[in-house]
Amino acid sequence: MIRCDDLRITFNPGLPTEKKALRGIDLEIPEGEFVTVIGSNGAGKSTLLNALAGDIASTGGKIWFGDKDVTRLPATGRTRDVARVFQDPLAGTCGNMTIEENMALAYGRTERGNLSFALNSKLREIFRTQLARLNLGLEDRLDSEMGLLSGGQRQSVSLLMSALQPSKILLLDEHTAALDPKTAALIMDISSQIIAEKQLTVLMVTHSMRQALDYGSRTLMLHEGKVVFDLQGEERAGYEVKDLLNLFAKARGDGEELDDDKLLLGS
Amino acid sequence: MSMFAFMGTLEIGFVYGLVAIGVYLTFRVLDFPDLTVDGSFTLGAAVAAAMIVTGFNPYLSTFCAALAGASAGMVTAWLNLRFNILHLLASILTMTALYTINLRVMGKPNVALIMEPTVLSPFEALGLPSMYLKVIFVAVCALIIGGLVAFFLQTQYGLAMRATGANPRMAQANGIVTKEKIYAGLALSNGLVAIAGALFAQTNGFADSTMGIGTIVVGLAAVIVGETLFGSRNMWVIILSCLIGSILYRLAVSMALNADFLGFTASDLNFITAALVAVALILPQLRREWKARKAAKEAQL
Repeated sequence: MIRCDDLRITFNPGLPTEKKALRGIDLEIPEGEFVTVIGSNGAGKSTLLNALAGDIASTGGKIWFGDKDVTRLPATGRTRDVARVFQDPLAGTCGNMTIEENMALAYGRTERGNLSFALNSKLREIFRTQLARLNLGLEDRLDSEMGLLSGGQRQSVSLLMSALQPSKILLLDEHTAALDPKTAALIMDISSQIIAEKQLTVLMVTHSMRQALDYGSRTLMLHEGKVVFDLQGEERAGYEVKDLLNLFAKARGDGEELDDDKLLLGS
Repeated sequence: MSMFAFMGTLEIGFVYGLVAIGVYLTFRVLDFPDLTVDGSFTLGAAVAAAMIVTGFNPYLSTFCAALAGASAGMVTAWLNLRFNILHLLASILTMTALYTINLRVMGKPNVALIMEPTVLSPFEALGLPSMYLKVIFVAVCALIIGGLVAFFLQTQYGLAMRATGANPRMAQANGIVTKEKIYAGLALSNGLVAIAGALFAQTNGFADSTMGIGTIVVGLAAVIVGETLFGSRNMWVIILSCLIGSILYRLAVSMALNADFLGFTASDLNFITAALVAVALILPQLRREWKARKAAKEAQL
């Protein structure tokens, strides 16, 4: 479903601030696979997701969705295939618009532009049924302003919005990192439901080793813009959090202790 | 205030209500502070006046004025989107260039329309006194156009435009081509402002190269007065509040000018404008502070 051939991304090429964020990623993810992505800060996890979504143009290499070459396609041209949820709960929704208006925007993701009313009773019914799944009582607050909801509620709605239209790929960029543990668990729960139900191909960036092993069927570890470990199948099944931490240390090549507390959180 | 003065205030209020709607589209919907309107208001008046004097149909002339205004908006959008010039600066550049263009369009600094046919001419046979006819005509125009804009903002396209202003990253992630929405929004906004300019020229009987100065402040004042008084989220109410804000603002100005004890003369208009806008901006802030203080006091008890 997703294929990256020698994908390279360099920020500020040729300048003193040049940063090679991705240094040749070769990756093939079959349809319906749920991949978790880990790596220390600056490893290129978010860059990889942004490159797949089309937010960042690649400096080299190719990206394929199925047999379609999307390397040159901008973000807006990929939304038929890709849905995403951001880390920042405020980023995925418009705070000064109502819940139903936000959902209508997501509903129009695959085609839009006509001059008919964006909302109607049929759509509201769809939105209400979807919101009811969250058990947050939001189904009765369709015309509430998004900005009045809590971060967790907004993230839950973002998640629903990502699944309103049939897409094949879901990109989750640490989408539970900004939430309290209870809400994070709820969001992960709904994510898994939606993923299973729609049989999506998923890339989920996470800082939690526990999450990385508990969810999905494959784990990638990125380090300095390269895939350093690609765990799947039985090998992965035998892995514990501490094994992952060892891998981390090995990736750094010096066996030093981890100085990044974030990596240990939630483990 | 005499009936005549009151009708004149209403008339100008409705005309600038269209400016307010245009300003609302850029400042509020797109979050794109656009000062082009100072130039496009005059451009609308200039194009309409020059065409009418040449013998074109007034309606066709007004339509062309709208197109001219829309192109001016597109130029600002182009400078900003294509070359990354700061939106405020891009609009100032267009506005400055328009000053010259307006002089060229008219061929002289001032064109009189007193004896020319206008968009009002077909209705003069109704026999209404001209001061009522003008008010009714501009009111109907403003309400129809306002209604269309309010409808537009609730369509899929309008929603996408609002998302572009509110959260561009989210908009793009949902497949919205944000640049196109900004072009369209600025064209629409400046088109409306140009229509206002064309109507102003035809109801007042002249187009003048300096008539656009301060248009942006007046438009913004109307938007803020409307927001302060209504504070609604309903699109119909918001657009209506732009129109009502514009009229109230005009009434406040003419009352300030008419109140003898204040001693203002007509040439003090710009000071009054600035003072009224400042008050409209200060009041909501004071109200928030006052509420916060009250809440803090209650919490102590």
